Amino acid sequence: MLDANIRKILMQVRDKAADEGIQATLKLHHEKSHLMRIGNNSVSLNTSENLVRLDIEVTDGRKQGSQTYLGAINDADTVQGIFDAAREKARMASPKTYDPIPDKVEVTINEDSQFDHELADIDPGIKAEAYREIIERLGEKYNYSGSWSSGSMEVYILTTANRNEVCHRGTDQLFTVVLKHTQAKWELTHNQTGWRASDFSVEKTINALSELISVYEENDGFKVEPGEYTVIFGASALSEIIAMAMYTGLSGRGWEEKQSWTAKFKPGDKILGENISVVDDPTNPKTFMFGFDMCGRKRDIFPLIADGEFMNLMYDSATAGKYGKKPTGHDTESPSIVMDTGFGHADPLEAVIDMGRVLYIPAIHYMNIPNRSKGIFTGSSRFNAVLVEDGKIVSPIFSSRVTDSFQNVLGNVKVISSVAESVNESNTYGRRAPVAMSVPSYIVSEGVKITDSADSF
Amino acid sequence: MTESMEVKKKISSNISRIASEGAGYVDARYYLDDSSETLLLYDGDLEANDTTVESGIGVRVLWEGAWGFAATSDPSCLDACFEKAAMNARTASRLVKVPLSMGAGEAVKGSYATPVEVDPFSVSLQDKLTFLTRLDNDLKEDFILKRMVYVNFQRKKVHFQNSEGSEINKDLVNVFGMIMAMALDSDGEMQRRSMSLYSTGDGTAGWEMVTNPELFSGHAARVRSELAELIKAEPLEYGKRSVILLPGQGHLQVHETIGHPLELDRILGYELSYAGGSFVDLDSFGKLRYGSDKLSVSSYGSIANSPGSFGFDDDGTPERAYRLIDRGILVNALTSRAMVNEANEKAGREVFQQSGGAARATSFYKAPIDRMTNINILPGNDGTEDDIIASTEDGIVVDNPVSWSIGSNREHFHFGCEIAWEVKNGEKTRVLRNPTYQGHTLEFYGSLSAVGDESTWKVELVNNCGKGEPNQVMQIGHGVPVVKFDDVITGERK
Repeated sequence: MLDANIRKILMQVRDKAADEGIQATLKLHHEKSHLMRIGNNSVSLNTSENLVRLDIEVTDGRKQGSQTYLGAINDADTVQGIFDAAREKARMASPKTYDPIPDKVEVTINEDSQFDHELADIDPGIKAEAYREIIERLGEKYNYSGSWSSGSMEVYILTTANRNEVCHRGTDQLFTVVLKHTQAKWELTHNQTGWRASDFSVEKTINALSELISVYEENDGFKVEPGEYTVIFGASALSEIIAMAMYTGLSGRGWEEKQSWTAKFKPGDKILGENISVVDDPTNPKTFMFGFDMCGRKRDIFPLIADGEFMNLMYDSATAGKYGKKPTGHDTESPSIVMDTGFGHADPLEAVIDMGRVLYIPAIHYMNIPNRSKGIFTGSSRFNAVLVEDGKIVSPIFSSRVTDSFQNVLGNVKVISSVAESVNESNTYGRRAPVAMSVPSYIVSEGVKITDSADSF
Repeated sequence: MTESMEVKKKISSNISRIASEGAGYVDARYYLDDSSETLLLYDGDLEANDTTVESGIGVRVLWEGAWGFAATSDPSCLDACFEKAAMNARTASRLVKVPLSMGAGEAVKGSYATPVEVDPFSVSLQDKLTFLTRLDNDLKEDFILKRMVYVNFQRKKVHFQNSEGSEINKDLVNVFGMIMAMALDSDGEMQRRSMSLYSTGDGTAGWEMVTNPELFSGHAARVRSELAELIKAEPLEYGKRSVILLPGQGHLQVHETIGHPLELDRILGYELSYAGGSFVDLDSFGKLRYGSDKLSVSSYGSIANSPGSFGFDDDGTPERAYRLIDRGILVNALTSRAMVNEANEKAGREVFQQSGGAARATSFYKAPIDRMTNINILPGNDGTEDDIIASTEDGIVVDNPVSWSIGSNREHFHFGCEIAWEVKNGEKTRVLRNPTYQGHTLEFYGSLSAVGDESTWKVELVNNCGKGEPNQVMQIGHGVPVVKFDDVITGERK
């Protein structure tokens, strides 16, 4: 767990600040990250980072300032210097028009139930060998690329409100391989996620891709003309849609400020189909479980949508302070969004056997929101997308654009898979922050709008 | 000897050591200071008052055609960091079908400093807040429900060394700014109008950009009045028409459908598992008609006050100015040394003569990848914005992105914008809300029918270009004039 010396230094600076009556939060983030990239059937980059970040936020009445430091933390003077910089920023800040809600570690938590030593210290050679095996077994005539990110992260938070401590240590990984036909240009992919080294298996990837290679090899691409279609959205596509729908619809700030597609609704209103239920569940093991948020608040199971009804809004601390609400534990980069499964067959092809022509879009590339007030999203099909007729895959489809509303797509769901799948949604633009959602392995939605398509994959 | 001098000395000895063990190439980037300050006034409340300070070392080792990289934020772990990078490279070399090579390189010695009149980090927080609060007050009006004033200042002091004897020092400063106002339209839906700090291509890149009324601080009244029109406007109806892009939107069009598809690592397939590929291949150069004769695009690293200017890239290559597209024909790409060598070898001919100086890493703990610099559409001969409007029978003028969604090989796209002005028979007639347009890249640029002159050319500054694994956010510039495209699908089908 956390280096004892750093812990001692942080507590020492906290105690001094508390004695002086200063309101402050100290957050330490330590990551050991490894990533192997594959390009053109070779390892194109093999990278390791060992980084320690310290965020200190000081609140001086209605004034706030924060300082983040990424560098060596070996002594109390360094931490005190960062603290003093944050304090000075707060002193010089202009006051807010509302009272900020002070951070407070509500209860001491020390969690590492999703930490795996084997994954934390994985030998990069294992990754290279796995890619080698996949390439050799699926055929070297294809072009392979991919990435395999793994690592550990620790978060440690103290506030001057009390001497409680929260500490989280976890591991996570995301494996991706892309197989591309060099002439026909089609691309297939497979991902694996989890927090244990043993969550990964070469066989899973070989099996998943083998099934599709023959479909792509033996059939030309199908151009989907704009119109309305019955669409199977796979777990990756579904997780994007749900994540975007929740972010743009159920964040407290968006709703309070009338920017969200739910702005005209209130809790209790029916906003999605009655077979849709979504919860933020930090106890779900298919997600990366964080028992507290970055303000030190305990995170509990939090219903968002129940049987299509709008249940709750997610309030971060700043929004709650501004609009006189209670924070809901959503000052977090790692929510645990879980969509309930349904009763559909485990195999999506079985589920659509009586539905005639259906598009199967497993993943949506580059989703964005052209109209947040109406909840309209757009994005295009990419990997593994196929045309299905009477429950049989008949051909791959060219890149096709879906532009539709959350309310239409999630309001006309005819089948929901009975199998839950974990989808890794981690964002590594800044610090390592593992995020996974648990969603049904597919949904079948009717009347989905395809608005454009290309003549290529 | 200062601590930084000692670190530099250790870097030299480690580079020599790893190279003597058989590495094909070694480099290190030592970030003495990588600071970023963000201030955000939201409805006048100071919601962000944050400074981030980073320092550390990133090491790259090329071993038998494979890259290893390691980074540490603790200079006392420097030797171990070099060892880790070398070990990572050796491991990577176990799976090499296409060996990477940096080619023959010469020692480059030099330095670059962004021209700055007033260092934004030397301006007191109080002075900054006084100025920004005045800007926020300029945005106030009864119908406006939300206001936002944002600035971000960046300073990077970087020391680069490599095994070819190169030694480069860079002192970079970037400044970004944005104002935005929001209000409810007649349907009770939120509309927004914003303006981002831009450059004319000349001048300096300090606090003086923020206080310059033309570049940033003098636009609040325009933003207010355009928002007032927008909330009373009708939505744009679906249909084919001409689309005139102002630089606020045109820069993103260039970014997404010219810049990204012309990154050579992307063309070679190194981004497939994340960002995607490119419809361009190595046979396209010198042959592919990317757009009409009116389309000429440059990669130009020497715009003084743009974040796309940095003197030397992270391979040590001095910045270059060259054409990517010449009168509609694709002629070059955004390139780094290793990618140029691989492309030429793969093609069996010299597709690219030299690196374009586009290897960039966003911080010490990320490895360089092929990036945009300043990617610009060159000004044309079709006059001013008014001239272009006057020559348009049926169209819309659009500005500033709301959303952008691009096909995985950059072959098609969909954009949503903040505002549109309808154009009928050569005149702007009314404002329209919720404008969107979509198209297929080559067809779209083939329909380019007017390119504005220098009076319409602005350098838009981009602070959030995401690419790579691990993900990197990069800063870029785009100089673009007003441009017109014909027969574009606009609005959404019913």
